[in-house]
Amino acid sequence: MERKAIIKQLQSIIAEVVKLENVELTEENTANDVKGWDSLSHIAIIAQIEETFSIKFKLRELAKLKKVGSIIDLIIKKQN
Amino acid sequence: MSFTSFQFLWAFPLFVLLYNFVTPRFKALFLLATSYLFYLNMQPVLFIMLLIVTALTYFSAHYIANQDDDDKRSLGLRIGIIGTLSPLLFFKYFTFLANTLVTSLHLFGLEIHPITTNFVLPIGISFYTFMAIGYLVDVFNEEVDVEPNYISVSLFLSFFPYILSGPIERAGNMFGQFKNLKRSTWHGVVAGLKLMLWGYFMKLCIADRLALYNDLIFNSISSRSGSTLAIASLLYPIQVYADLGGYTLIVMGISQCLGIKIIPNFNRPFLATSISEFWRRWHISLIKWLTDYIFTPLSFTLRKWKIGGIIGALMLTFFISGIWHGASFCFIFWGLMQGALLSFEAYTNPKRNRFEEKYHLRHKGIYNFICILFVYFVFAFTEIWDKEGVTWNDTMLILHKIFHEWGTPYLILSKFLYASISFVPLLFSELRNEYKPECFLFFDHKNIIIRWTSYLIILFMILTIGVLNSSQFIYFQF
Repeated sequence: MERKAIIKQLQSIIAEVVKLENVELTEENTANDVKGWDSLSHIAIIAQIEETFSIKFKLRELAKLKKVGSIIDLIIKKQN
Repeated sequence: MSFTSFQFLWAFPLFVLLYNFVTPRFKALFLLATSYLFYLNMQPVLFIMLLIVTALTYFSAHYIANQDDDDKRSLGLRIGIIGTLSPLLFFKYFTFLANTLVTSLHLFGLEIHPITTNFVLPIGISFYTFMAIGYLVDVFNEEVDVEPNYISVSLFLSFFPYILSGPIERAGNMFGQFKNLKRSTWHGVVAGLKLMLWGYFMKLCIADRLALYNDLIFNSISSRSGSTLAIASLLYPIQVYADLGGYTLIVMGISQCLGIKIIPNFNRPFLATSISEFWRRWHISLIKWLTDYIFTPLSFTLRKWKIGGIIGALMLTFFISGIWHGASFCFIFWGLMQGALLSFEAYTNPKRNRFEEKYHLRHKGIYNFICILFVYFVFAFTEIWDKEGVTWNDTMLILHKIFHEWGTPYLILSKFLYASISFVPLLFSELRNEYKPECFLFFDHKNIIIRWTSYLIILFMILTIGVLNSSQFIYFQF
């Protein structure tokens, strides 16, 4: 799956979880850049990513999931 | 030795001078010796607990890092956590747990005499225990390399500026700095002294001024009117903020004079527009610790239950936060209230986001002002349960009086006047830093006359308005 396609899916996942109409993401974005993406919604976002991409994260990997680019890296790694 | 004592104020410049004469190779050892002397000066007997926790932390971290097998690593982590946590549990919670058990058995008809113990809590144990656990978990998660130098680990857990009341530092932030200790720079010393000056101002002119009124009221609840108790309750969050916030700035300032950067503890909490935002700005080092080591693993484990899992994790996290503040049902209730408020927000946040977006409320001043006031009032209400020495019956009496016996407020105008004068620069600084951080700089103004006039005004206020004979910081007791 291409990075651009993943980022589009991430945008809709985050918009759905934090209930915003539009979320525009770049690979450099972090939770701080998106209104409503905080430590409370982070876990819901992670759970939704797991469901959407049919993957499972480990607790130890959570620390690496702070930047959008890193999330994409890990999704690609898990899918392969 | 309190940071507000004259003993400290004359010893500090001498210490900084000596530190700069020590060669870089021995600076960490010098800081460790100073930290241990600082501790021994206050509590020689229970110093042994600090040494035991340090040794346990060092060897557990090495055991965890040297195992390839995940089960063995996990075993090392569990042993390390139980070992480092045991002294805290024993000293802080033994009497509370034993007497809770005695009361529970009494309900079933079993009579056992209540246990009376006279344990003195080792100073800073709540802080160095949490730092030790954080380090072990970070090593386990491979977020921090295991530290081979025993002096660095010892210094990390005992560094004198933060051992008394935090901030709860992270191994990842400190080890690198301890390995690379250099001479103080002029810029660092000036920045450090500015932080200390502002910290002393917050502590002595605001926290201790308000404490003169609040202590008087909360020590005689039964003879006070509801309106007086309401005023004291509304002022209490500002007192706590100025106390711990001021203390943290002094800690950051002392460290900065040595070229060491410490994480901040507050980020203008009373300008938060939601409870969750408030908790991202209030006692940051504790909340971040609880988030990283309690909330995140718990909510991750419970994630298949969606919002239910998040609420469960929040309640348990703030239950622990309450217990951390003290062994009493008041603190537990306080923690559970915070958990419930945050759970409510977590549940309703998506709707609030949509509502704010629909009516373009986020940048509307009046809307944000109402939210700020609401958050402050809610927090001030919950703080009724968050006071050392106030019992459950006291809190019920406070509430009863506020809602049923309003009466005439007891106001000591002279004390309010002094506290109000001090509050003006604090409020100005908070608003400036939040909304116009580049404007109206005083301590950092490029004009030397404005800069020095600002220092002197604050120093003058400390000497004239400050309460110079107080010795304790509120969080010292934790």
